[in-house]
Amino acid sequence: MPEDGSLRIGVYVCSCGANIGSVISPAAVADYAARLDDVVLTRDNLYMCGDPGQNQISRDIIDYRLNRVVIAACSVRMHEPTFRTCVAQAGLNPFLMEMVNIREQDTWVHAHDPAGALVKAKELVSAAVAKVRHVQPLQPIEVPVTKKAMVIGGGVAGISAALDLGDMGIKTYLVEREQSIGGTMAQLNKTFPTMDCSI
Amino acid sequence: MVDAARHPQVEIISYAEVDRVDGYIGNFRVQVTKKPRYVKMDLCTGCGECAAVCPIEVPNDFELGLAPRKAIDVPHGQSVPLIYAIDMDHCIHCYQCVTACGKRDAIDFGMEPEVLDLEVGSIIMATGFDNFDPTVIPEYGFGRYPNVITAMEMERLANSAGPTVGKLMRPSDGRVPKSLAIIQCVGSRDKRFNEYCSGFCCMYAIKNAMLLKQADHEMDISIYYMDIRTPSKGYEEFYNRAREMGIRFIHGRPSQISQDPETHNLIVLAEDQEIGEVIELETDMVMLSAAAIPRLDTDEMASKLALSRSPSGFFMEYHPKLRPVDSPTDGVFLAGAAQGPKDIPASVAQGSAAASRAARVLSQDTWEIEPVIASVNAELCISAQGKKCGLCAKACPYGAITVEVGQPAVITAAKCHGCGGCAAECPHNAITQDHFTDAQMVAQLDALLADKPEEKIIAFMCHWCSYGGADNAGTSHFEYPASSRGLRVMCSARMDEDFVLEAFRRGAGMVLVSGCHPQDCHYITGQQVAAKRFSRMERLLQRVGINPERFRLEWISAAEGDKYARVITEMDAKLKSFDREALLAETLAARPIIGKRLARWKASPLMAGLVPLEATEEVLA
Repeated sequence: MPEDGSLRIGVYVCSCGANIGSVISPAAVADYAARLDDVVLTRDNLYMCGDPGQNQISRDIIDYRLNRVVIAACSVRMHEPTFRTCVAQAGLNPFLMEMVNIREQDTWVHAHDPAGALVKAKELVSAAVAKVRHVQPLQPIEVPVTKKAMVIGGGVAGISAALDLGDMGIKTYLVEREQSIGGTMAQLNKTFPTMDCSI
Repeated sequence: MVDAARHPQVEIISYAEVDRVDGYIGNFRVQVTKKPRYVKMDLCTGCGECAAVCPIEVPNDFELGLAPRKAIDVPHGQSVPLIYAIDMDHCIHCYQCVTACGKRDAIDFGMEPEVLDLEVGSIIMATGFDNFDPTVIPEYGFGRYPNVITAMEMERLANSAGPTVGKLMRPSDGRVPKSLAIIQCVGSRDKRFNEYCSGFCCMYAIKNAMLLKQADHEMDISIYYMDIRTPSKGYEEFYNRAREMGIRFIHGRPSQISQDPETHNLIVLAEDQEIGEVIELETDMVMLSAAAIPRLDTDEMASKLALSRSPSGFFMEYHPKLRPVDSPTDGVFLAGAAQGPKDIPASVAQGSAAASRAARVLSQDTWEIEPVIASVNAELCISAQGKKCGLCAKACPYGAITVEVGQPAVITAAKCHGCGGCAAECPHNAITQDHFTDAQMVAQLDALLADKPEEKIIAFMCHWCSYGGADNAGTSHFEYPASSRGLRVMCSARMDEDFVLEAFRRGAGMVLVSGCHPQDCHYITGQQVAAKRFSRMERLLQRVGINPERFRLEWISAAEGDKYARVITEMDAKLKSFDREALLAETLAARPIIGKRLARWKASPLMAGLVPLEATEEVLA
């Protein structure tokens, strides 16, 4: 954060090709965001997650001294890790970035109502801008890793997983409910497409 | 199988059940109970002399009941490990096995279940599938007509290691069949049972037909199909070879199978769609290609590992395209038919893929986890003031909070998983959940309800399930009205009733609280904390003068996009059915009452500038 403690928020609106851009205008969302308090920069881009999109964010964080970033694009379940890494590479704590889902939870479900979808996108962006005014940098917690694995189920998939893990030098417990491993595969006659035996 | 047994890094724990899984990525603790075999693993040589003298025969599940096994036995000759076990439900305690075992002394009738506590960094779920039971399709006569068998029974009857040493015989009379009808899509692609395609049945039907045809060129084999699905490499060629061999493919799903009472031959009635005629064929035997279905105990396993189920009932992957072997729980991966019907090549590939994903974690010394945890503001905690409370500790699914009267509550960071239940439960706002603070939630409500709030539905969603459900509605393109505004938190336990009240105070038309189904919760019992809290919501809303019909509580899994869309659609219709003026008046009247209740937020320093000041002033005035 700048020495005076002021907020400098950058807002990015993704078109996701036509996934978002064919229903609402990303530029209109960006224009709206530009009028929100503390927003110093807005941009829209065809693909925010692409290299040019990510590079733009990284450059802007440095050039415009952004200390908060809002990215309106797809689901957090899709690209939150992508954009957290992106802002972290430019020196911004990843928890100072907030995503807004204007694809899965907006344009993909309101294609019949583009006007409604646009209002929703704007308000969701406004909410994320409001949220990032209150977020704090957080440091990831490192936990130790027990270098052992468990495979539950000793059928063909489980055996295959256990053997691969074992070959990588990882101690693996293969837990099987029945008396013998083998699962359904062990019951089969010759198997396709090679017509050899299953065991 | 043998490779696994001989691998120095692989320890097979067979005849065992997983009781409990605790912990998190890199640090799971799994309790496994080994069922007593009553045969000592280190002393049994697998010679089988015990089974030879055992006088008790019971149906062998491995042979689908087509052959017997002894009360002390192994499922089959190639069992791994080749260690015998006594079926105590059927053993008559004659001890002839003990005598036969003699000096080897491997049999121990006093054996108890053995409980193992194992620490692992990663878990792969490869629990497989069950077979659809065709007895529920009365028109096919399975279970009533002896010569109607399932595909799995065919696998055993045509198997050289099976009960008939590979010689296919009719169950009714032991005669070798000269004709066979194979029926596809039994229990799959049938909306009465399972909508999905069971995937590998086309190929195993063709395989069985080819093997039988190779053994007896004169055998008359018909396969009744809806579509032949051969998408993998080399499969279409395999199918073409079957056609060239003279196996008959009939495009139509049989509507009826009847039995000649004299001969036990079967008459298959179907419409052959190629010629548009109803045909009736008599056959010696019928094989039903029964669907692969989710394991019957999928729910139980899902709740032990906080996994979700797809609409088909199989375990759900984190993302159908990009993370197909990851489960929604970090550090737990899916392999094989447990995730959906799969043939052997696909199961092996997924086993390797899951191993690789697991090794991605296990190859590291440490793993970074999200720092979203809760912390206590000692000044606000009433326990520090000598009062008895402890609501936070009660809500914590992980035992991460300790409360001693006279001291502020203490949260152990390493144990906290960040559900936020404690933060919502604390009546004094003394607990803050990082990244989902009260201030952040109220700031978002403020923005979302700045304009025409009475037309909006505020939808609180948990990260793992209902947010995933909303995403699923998107990927499925299920349309719903654009009036909803989603607010994501990690768990429904974080959804404070104060947030709901604040949404109404700011004029929201409707509020939805959505979370996972109880068995899917990523925070063990977080959903239950929320369910209990919101069971009181109706009365609370009545008390502050808000029509409880403006509030809805729904459990929506990450697979239930259709449900998410339906719930929002219904809420939108309900909202539109209200008289607008009456709604505005209701909000206006409730505002100071709610404001008074929420005034305690003023004590929290993080809430500066966000507290419902105007409302409290109204009350004070």
